[in-house]
Parts: sequence; structure tokens; C-alpha cells
Amino acid sequence: MVQGILNRIAAGEASAVDECLKKYGGLVWSLARRMLRNSDDAEDAVQEIFLDVWKNAGKFDEEQSSETTFIAMIARRRLIDRIRFTSRRISADALEDVLAEPMDRADRKMQTTLEANDAVKAMNTLRPEQREVLQLSIVQGLSHQEIADRTGMPLGTVKTHARRGILQAREFLGLGKLDSSKEVHA
Amino acid sequence: MTENEREMMLDLLCDKFVYGLSEEEAKKLEGLGYDPKEAESIELTVAALSMADLATEEMPADLQSKLQAAASDFAGEIRTAEAEEIPVPRREIVLSDGGTSSWFGWLGWAAAAVASIALAVTLFVPRGSQDRAGVATPTPTPVREERPDPVQQRQQLMGASGEVVMAEWGKGNMPNMEVTGDVVWSDEKQAGYMRFRGLPKNDPNRETYQLWIFDETQSEKTPIDGGTFDVNAEGEVIVPIDPKLKARNPKAFAVTVEKPGGVVVSDRKRIVVLGAVKPDQV
Repeated sequence: MVQGILNRIAAGEASAVDECLKKYGGLVWSLARRMLRNSDDAEDAVQEIFLDVWKNAGKFDEEQSSETTFIAMIARRRLIDRIRFTSRRISADALEDVLAEPMDRADRKMQTTLEANDAVKAMNTLRPEQREVLQLSIVQGLSHQEIADRTGMPLGTVKTHARRGILQAREFLGLGKLDSSKEVHA
Repeated sequence: MTENEREMMLDLLCDKFVYGLSEEEAKKLEGLGYDPKEAESIELTVAALSMADLATEEMPADLQSKLQAAASDFAGEIRTAEAEEIPVPRREIVLSDGGTSSWFGWLGWAAAAVASIALAVTLFVPRGSQDRAGVATPTPTPVREERPDPVQQRQQLMGASGEVVMAEWGKGNMPNMEVTGDVVWSDEKQAGYMRFRGLPKNDPNRETYQLWIFDETQSEKTPIDGGTFDVNAEGEVIVPIDPKLKARNPKAFAVTVEKPGGVVVSDRKRIVVLGAVKPDQV
């Protein structure tokens, strides 16, 4: 079985560090651009994220997730820290710009990961209102209050849809080592 | 935990991994208690969902360059740690006197080459002191008698098959520096050695020397980091090159003075020596 890049970094294989950058650079950059409004912030964040990824390579467990998801998790931790620190979470005002970006970037090389397709499949297993809440919160970065304002749902309902949607998606994606008896179903 | 408490706990975990928590919310979550595996599975799920419809785009070129340099640094530290596990002579100090008996073998060669010059080989200081998960902090290792010293290694490199290029050191931009010597490099071996005479000792707590390799794989603006080193003795110094990337067909070399641990990008304000390759000299 071919050993993954993160396991090879953890094992001290220097060449795997550069491979990691080549393979996941686009993913991390795209996540940073999606979550941070400012591209300078995104550039700084990406550099911090890769250092975190390399340092934490030994914590990757292939039985719990794919490398891509693990790296996205590390990236989100750093991005959330940064957003909370600077209080510049993407706002509804910036949303239109973000949504417009793929069209603006038509001339650039774009790819979609397998995990991105899996995430869409997981979203599609959810009830429409759960899917809407998760798309607005996780993908687009709106707060629960902003989602409530935008959709007209009560705040408590937004929170409930978010929780139940995430737990149902977890079941679909099979991430983590969890006793299934603990899971809460919608 | 009651069902209400569990729902509250799950709400907080979801909030934590979607938005992050305030101090108050974090305390509340701690008070409720939760299974770390459950938390991790939720965090992974949120991370996975965050990739929905994500079209990955290539990074800007300047960011790629910065990250490649950082990757080289990190990989270099891995290599350093590996090298320290199996001691090799490239990081050892060799002195003409006060050294171990194993080094006497090369004194004859050195005496013939540079008769009146006291010989010294410098310690290659491991880059950076930052703690890296899973990577032991390297420390200098004892000398093994049977191993060849850097002078012998340099000789072996020059006598090896394949092209070895050489550059003689010329002046940089630092006044009052009278440094001579040369650098040899083999693409095939991905190894090389710098030789200096007149390179002043440095205070490792304040500054270090750093080599830069200008080759065909990199632009002039982003030469390859050839490693940092300190000089702790007077006389002739031979320093192994420790490239952070694979170098190919180098055209020139430069040594700068940088902060301890070295830098990713030099401001080139203190260039000690410069050397342009003259293949026909080898």
C-alpha cells in the first residue's frame, strides 16, 4: 500500500513536504480565499496553515478521514482563529463578490477534489432547510443571526437545522471514530 | 447528561467548528463535558462540508515561491534531524589542533595545499531552533575516527565522475572583507564544498553566514538556500553545502550575513562574497 504524504512527512521524509505543498496548495488557498475577505490575509494564513499541517502530520489518522479532509480541518482551525482575532468574518456584503469569483476566474486553472463532490453528495442527503443553513453557515460564512435574517427562520430553528444537518452529514461521510449509537438523527 | 444538555453540547461543538467560540461559550462547553472523539468527528465533518462546491484554484506565483522556500526550510530540518541520527562529517568541526586524532590524516594534504595556513573546518549550525512535532532538535555529534573529513570529501567530490563546477570567491558589498577561496559543486552528487580564507569568525547569537545558489531552476530573485553556517576558528575553512532544494547547473554562489537561523529571503544588504562558476577550472 502506498503511504500517504502526511505519513511520510511524519516519518521524516523530506521530499514529502514539497509534495504536500504541490498537492494541497490549491485546496488551502481556495479555502482561505473563501473564508477571508482580504487576499493579503489569505496569503499570510496559507503560510501559517502549511506550517501547522507539516508540524501536525503525525496526528493524521487515515482511518478517520482522508488527507484532504484532515488538511481542510487544520486550515479551518487557523482560518477561524484568524477571523475571530480580526473580527473580519465574511459578511453578507462580501458574499456577492465571493459568489462571483468563479466566473471572474474562468481563465484560471480550477479543479474540484473528490472530497468536494462527496461534500455535495452529503449536502444533498439533507432536508432542504438543513442544506440551506449549512451552505450559508459553513460554505458562505454567515452567522446564525444573519441566516435567520436572510431566511426568515427563527434563530433557534437555524441552530437546530445546523446541528442536525452536521450530524446527519457526519453519518453519511463516515468521518471520525464514533460509536454510532451516540448519533442523533433528524 | 440529559437530552437537553447533550443538544446544548452538540450545538456548542458545531458552533465551535463553524465559527469558533467566545470565552464564555468555551467555558460552558467545558462545563458540559464532551467526548473528544465526538468533537473530532464533528470538526472533520464541518471541514468536509466546507469543501462543497469548492473549485480549487492555483495559488499566486509569489505565494507559491514563499511556500516553496518554507517547505525547503522544513524539509531541511527533517534532513538535519535525519543526518544527526547517523552522524556524518558534514556538520562537524575540524581543527588543526585540539581536534581528534582522526583528522591528522588530512593535515598532510592540507599542508601541501596551504602550507602556512592554520586549518579549520566549521560547524554547520542546524537551521532554526523551533520545535517541530516529531522532529528531534539536532545537536552536534561526536567525531567517528573512520569517517573522512570535509577536506577529503571535497577531494573525493572533485575526483568523482561527472561534472564538478567551481567558482572562485570575489568581493561582495561589505567593506574591509578580504576573503578568498572557492566553491565546488556537483549536480550529480547534489553536494559541494565552500572553501574560505579570511572569513571572520561570527557570533552565532547575533548573526550567521548563509549560502545562496543561483541555478537554472530558480530566478535570480529566488536563489536556492544553500544552508547557514558559523565560523568559529581562524584560518582556512571548508563548509559543506546543504541545499534546501535540488540545484541544477548553478551559475553563481553568494554568501550573506543573516540573522541567527538564516532567512528565507535575503535582503542582500551584507554580501560577503560572490562567485561566478567557471567550469573550465575544474
